[in-house]
Amino acid sequence: MRQALSDSLVSAAKNNCKVILLTGDHGYGLFYEFRKHFPSQFLNAGVAEQNMVGMAAGLARAGYFPIVYGLSSFVPIRVLEQIKLDVCHDNLPVIFLGDGAGFVYSFLGTSHQSTEDISATRAIPNLSIYSPADRFEMSSVMDLALELRSPCYIRIGKSDVGDVHFQSLNLSKDDIPACSISDSSISFIGTGSMVKMATQLADEFRASVYSAPIIKPFNKQRFLELILNSQALITFEEHSVYGGLGGMIAEIISENCPKKLLRIGVEDRFSRYCGSYQYLLKEHGLDIDSVRLKITNFLNINHNQY
Amino acid sequence: MLIKNKFDTKKLRRTVIDMAYAGSSVHIGCAFSIIEILATLYSNHLRFPGGNMLAENRDYLVLSKGHGVMAQYACMRELGWLPDNAFINYFSDGSELKALSDSRVSGLEVSSGSLGHGFSVGVGLAMGAKLSKSDQKTYVIVGDGEINEGAIWEGALFAAHHQLQNFMVIIDDNGFQAMGRSCDVLDLGSIQSKFESFGFNATSIDGHDETAISEAINRLQKSSSTAPKAIIAKTVKGKGVSFMENNNSWHYTRLNADTHAKSIAELSGDKS
Repeated sequence: MRQALSDSLVSAAKNNCKVILLTGDHGYGLFYEFRKHFPSQFLNAGVAEQNMVGMAAGLARAGYFPIVYGLSSFVPIRVLEQIKLDVCHDNLPVIFLGDGAGFVYSFLGTSHQSTEDISATRAIPNLSIYSPADRFEMSSVMDLALELRSPCYIRIGKSDVGDVHFQSLNLSKDDIPACSISDSSISFIGTGSMVKMATQLADEFRASVYSAPIIKPFNKQRFLELILNSQALITFEEHSVYGGLGGMIAEIISENCPKKLLRIGVEDRFSRYCGSYQYLLKEHGLDIDSVRLKITNFLNINHNQY
Repeated sequence: MLIKNKFDTKKLRRTVIDMAYAGSSVHIGCAFSIIEILATLYSNHLRFPGGNMLAENRDYLVLSKGHGVMAQYACMRELGWLPDNAFINYFSDGSELKALSDSRVSGLEVSSGSLGHGFSVGVGLAMGAKLSKSDQKTYVIVGDGEINEGAIWEGALFAAHHQLQNFMVIIDDNGFQAMGRSCDVLDLGSIQSKFESFGFNATSIDGHDETAISEAINRLQKSSSTAPKAIIAKTVKGKGVSFMENNNSWHYTRLNADTHAKSIAELSGDKS
């Protein structure tokens, strides 16, 4: 997935000399190829994210296409106001890459973990939000982002959980790609790193699995079709259950076709301890055993017929 | 093409007073301290090829202290960029001109008022011009209170590190911020030495002396130094109306019929 990102960035710079990659002193390894081939299109803005985003707005106004990289705790969270006022208010073509979203930095504690970034950015007008699950989605959302000519936030979470698709995607044609389809009417809808877990649990629950890499603007009609065709709905995300994918689906359901929904995500709490990524998932009840139990209980209570 | 008209600063202030009265708006003191700075920039320094405020290769004027935007509106009226009814109808429902700078108004480069934003956007504009090998200049006006913001100093580091000699910040050093004297709220010490220590070519002048402003801009722009530039303009908040000068209540106070009439009486006649 990181290779796919690096390849997309290199190709973006190659295709357009106005593409400028800015980083707040992060991404040493990730940008090796980019810096090697396009040093003049790379700017390390220093540990100064607010200025970096304001500058990106200025560069965009001056005819450039800035791609702003940071850890998602900082881009978008630390610079939310600059994103809103300097960039989104005027619909400027700036791509924000928020890396290490969720619990990637499991040893570093709350400062480097972000489970609020989708929620915080969803309410900003003009901002598209993408949350890729694997390398195929990464490449495709980068294609979308580069064609947008308006601001977008790409949330990059745990990147080495493995593919959830088998081949390249075109998200402009299929924006809620299915990972597997079952003959039951249980649907798992995931985004980012948690799509993989949804695929791992699909068989035992005979569930269909869909990935939602495009959080905003979302295809309401397709989501509605998916929801109407499902008896049981479960969302998966390494993000707060407030305001992320689960919140978004809940909004669609409550306005159109009320039914029970299980939102698998972070239950409004910070990490208490540190440890491996797998340990932290478990602390938050997001390891596969905890998730299996939540789904079983949900289906038993609400969907005895299954 | 330079815009040659020399503005009548008393008339600019009358425009501000009339629009503030029409809209029952505040921030008159903030606008009055930057009247001469803006008049000088528009008259003698900002280049708008073909007189077009949106010309691609124009110089950029970024009013980072968006609270002073009425002063900029007044200049834009003199340039014919804003119609009279925009002033008469200031703050009426559905009107375009806001109390703070909004980039959707043609002629205003950024949305500001949340402080410490315009400086960085200006740094980005200057960096863009440098990368494009364009001779466009970027002028950013900040308030002395505004430079409490940390983002200003992040941007100052960047501008100096990249030797953005096309970037000039003008600090409206009126000595006040929203709740009191700047030295009492959060003392900045010497603003000039602060910018110098960040690598700027800096100078201090009387911010109401148009000749001094213009000479300082020319001197810095013609300097062989590749450093970014800073002008610390010593100004008077509320300048031009005796009972507003250095009276910080005019950050917030609205005009009534009496204070409106007294202000206009003080500002009548020709140039200051």
